[in-house]
Amino acid sequence: MNKHDPIVGRYVYINCQGKSYRTYYEEAGEGIPMVCLHTAGADGRQYRHQMCDPDFTANFRVIAFDLPRHGKSIPPDGWHLEEDEYKLTTAFYSEFIQEFCRALDLVKPVVMGQSMGGNICLELALRHENDYSALISLEGCDHSPGWWIDPLHHPHIHGGEAVATSVFGLMAPDSPDEYRWETFWYYAQGGPGIFKGDLYYYSVDSDYRDKVHKISGKVPIYFLTGEYDFACTPEMTMRTAEKVKNSECIIFGGGHFPTSEDPDKFKEVVSPVLKKIIQNDPERRGGNTRDWSVNGATRGSGNRSEKRPEGRRTIDL
Amino acid sequence: MSKYGSRSAFDLEWIERWARRVNEDRVLPKLSRFFNARFVLGIDDTDFLLEVRRGKIEKISEGLEPSDMGYEFALRAPSSAWGKFSQKMPPPMFNDIWAMAHPLHKQLKIEGNTLTFWQNMRAMHWMLSLMREV
Repeated sequence: MNKHDPIVGRYVYINCQGKSYRTYYEEAGEGIPMVCLHTAGADGRQYRHQMCDPDFTANFRVIAFDLPRHGKSIPPDGWHLEEDEYKLTTAFYSEFIQEFCRALDLVKPVVMGQSMGGNICLELALRHENDYSALISLEGCDHSPGWWIDPLHHPHIHGGEAVATSVFGLMAPDSPDEYRWETFWYYAQGGPGIFKGDLYYYSVDSDYRDKVHKISGKVPIYFLTGEYDFACTPEMTMRTAEKVKNSECIIFGGGHFPTSEDPDKFKEVVSPVLKKIIQNDPERRGGNTRDWSVNGATRGSGNRSEKRPEGRRTIDL
Repeated sequence: MSKYGSRSAFDLEWIERWARRVNEDRVLPKLSRFFNARFVLGIDDTDFLLEVRRGKIEKISEGLEPSDMGYEFALRAPSSAWGKFSQKMPPPMFNDIWAMAHPLHKQLKIEGNTLTFWQNMRAMHWMLSLMREV
């Protein structure tokens, strides 16, 4: 008997800003709809573990789409004639999420996004708070500078390897090798310039530092950030969460890609959040209730001595 | 001692042990066979010049001299940063060269012809990670 994942993939046509986008999405489970947003330059495979885990799918209809130009979602017709390089904007990103939810007739879904998907949760809370029942911002904060740089899309540099290597260190060194290198692979497969273009949104077009205090608190926001995330540090998330009404902040011993780099640890960390969402939405949950456990954060630092000899010595190997 | 452990000081002998570990690695040749460069590993005020040919570190020199006629790129950081980077379990913000180089953290400077660095970054990344096995 062959083993199959319970994930089902389909294509839906999403109209956004005057163009039609053939959009790939995968889903599994039933219950409260949960739309999962991948990180910059990646795709919905980052949620494959959650879509295969009964502890998620018993209560949630877990859905992950690939943004246009990512994964199996092709670019729009005429992309080859575009005169400017690809840049994801706040307007397009948020409108696309809205249109995707409309296309699937999702009523007040939960949105869970990581990295840029975590940051766009702030935009959704600011502009569309009535459309969502909860927001889970993984590795999210109000401003993530420094990532929109040319070497990430340069004809003299292997884009896949450079991009994937650039993000590898965002993962915790004790996350399982199998999953860290799978995450690397996702990045190595990105289209040319797509990671960089997404980072236009991440580092340039989104700056919520002077806006997050305006979030009303109508929709709860759960911030979860791993201690090894050097792009969105625990301090950056905590600073953001302090300004956002009706938010919670959880710092855990992981990295920037929690759903794909260490799914077991992620489950422990997010389970109390899912439990709260289920408790707040009992009518829509699926048939089963799971026993969720809690994981604590860990922290530490290293040090070393230093010594420097004098004079020049040379060794031939 | 923290949970991340600690190590003894860097010196030329330590760099040599690391270089020999790099050269005997079984996976690196797959990633580094086109890697030819002369680059500097800066630790505090000491520059170690490394000459790499086809992915092998062929020569290491302590300090720079005019007759070196320069180098292509340099990675410079305090020994405190390299020390954390090279621990078996490096602490957050020191586990990766980009973590240390990011404008938010500013522990590592990447200088010179960064194109060469970017072109060989995967091999560089692998080589540097072997510091944790020295």
